[in-house]
Amino acid sequence: MAKEKETKFEDKIKELETIINELESGDIDLEASIEKYTKAMKLVKECDDKLKNIEEQVNKIVKENGELENFTVEE
Amino acid sequence: MNNKYLTVSVINRYLKDQFDRNEHLRTVFLKGEISNFKGHTTGHLYFSLKDENSRINAIMFASNAKKLKFVPADGKKVLVTGRISIYEATGSYQIYVDDMQEDGVGNLYLAFEKLKADLEKEGLFDQKYKKPIPKYPNRIGIVTAPTGAAIRDILSTIKRRYPICQTLLFPCLVQGEYAADDIVRNIELANTYDLDVLIVGRGGGSIEDLWSFNEEKVARAIFASRIPIISAVGHEIDFTIADFVADLRAPTPTGAAEMAVPNLTDLSKYINQLSIRSKEAMIKQVNYQKLRLDSIKSSYILKSPMIMFDNRKQKLDILVDKLNINILNKTKIYRQKINHLKSNYLLNNPKELYSDYVTNLANLLDKLELVNPLHVLKRGYSVTYNQSNKVIGSIKKVKKDDLVKIRLVDGYVESKVIEIVKEVYNG
Repeated sequence: MAKEKETKFEDKIKELETIINELESGDIDLEASIEKYTKAMKLVKECDDKLKNIEEQVNKIVKENGELENFTVEE
Repeated sequence: MNNKYLTVSVINRYLKDQFDRNEHLRTVFLKGEISNFKGHTTGHLYFSLKDENSRINAIMFASNAKKLKFVPADGKKVLVTGRISIYEATGSYQIYVDDMQEDGVGNLYLAFEKLKADLEKEGLFDQKYKKPIPKYPNRIGIVTAPTGAAIRDILSTIKRRYPICQTLLFPCLVQGEYAADDIVRNIELANTYDLDVLIVGRGGGSIEDLWSFNEEKVARAIFASRIPIISAVGHEIDFTIADFVADLRAPTPTGAAEMAVPNLTDLSKYINQLSIRSKEAMIKQVNYQKLRLDSIKSSYILKSPMIMFDNRKQKLDILVDKLNINILNKTKIYRQKINHLKSNYLLNNPKELYSDYVTNLANLLDKLELVNPLHVLKRGYSVTYNQSNKVIGSIKKVKKDDLVKIRLVDGYVESKVIEIVKEVYNG
């Protein structure tokens, strides 16, 4: 099975949300906010990329012997 | 002649009376199969119930029909409770149905209620066991029939909303005797895979069709699942035990897919919104810092630093003055002290003292000279001493024949007292 290469999409979104709350709270110093801002932008790009290049996932089916096979529904 | 003939309505009324008075007919439990069913717009239901060789008309008023738990249709075997009476207009008798259940359903229904109560008591439905459904799943497992509407709806919905998500189908029976075991096997199998969420369900059907999802073993498998489960069994109105145990109940397979995955367009809009918010926050922060810096720069100190020195200078002058005054005072005091000391010193100067003493002495001597009793001798006076060399001031201090010594200016005379004459000197 495809192992999770990079951190899960969900974790990225969560991290992005926390950074933005910190930035908006405004009580962090300039250096920290610059650093956080760049990290936020990086995350935004990663999330966007993930959504943009939609290599459509192939649906799989678990055969009797446990093997996986592509599965398409007859429309 | 013709008065012994009754009218139809009279006879029908009479028969209705007979029916109504008969308490056996007042509550009747009837089993049969529905036929020529007609639902009236008023909501009243007209049909008949038949068995292999007989039939009876039936009517169910809308108020009761509303409470039906299934959709009545020709051919359905049902269990009915109601009362039998005559409809005078047609003279035909019929059963007025209060409650109707699918036959074979009756006991199923009871079993369902009982199991539901037991599992509820055991806590399988408690909210605290409900696992949260991940918002952005990477891989979704689906336990349902490989054919049919359910899997088609689920996959098409996921493809439409969130194609970047992988799905993994665990094909299983969803109906019939072996379905329950097959569902359990597949749920357990799915738990051995790295899945974010599991959709378990099937398309619509009768209560018998859905029954495997009411089985206890399926309920326990769902409860034990490590992966959060969305149940999607039948139509909106169908509630199975699986729905109560699942972490989230979806009204339909499509609904399940919509709950499992976010909508891509909404998501990218959201991410876009997040990036805008972070830019704005950053701009706000930078502006704030700029403002702070400007206000500092415009402060008078930086504008004209000399002021600071002026202040300092002025302060310095003040301090210098103070210093001088202090020093002056101090020196004055010290000078006074010194003078004082000096004068003391002078006063106490031994030479000074000496001459003082000398003058004092001389003065004393003069004074002595003046009062020197012997000085008087020069003027012819004399002083008489007794043998113990004491001055004799009065005749009482001497007796006859005493030896005395008379001191004259130029010496003294040893003499003897021949006579004492008392005579007071009245000066």
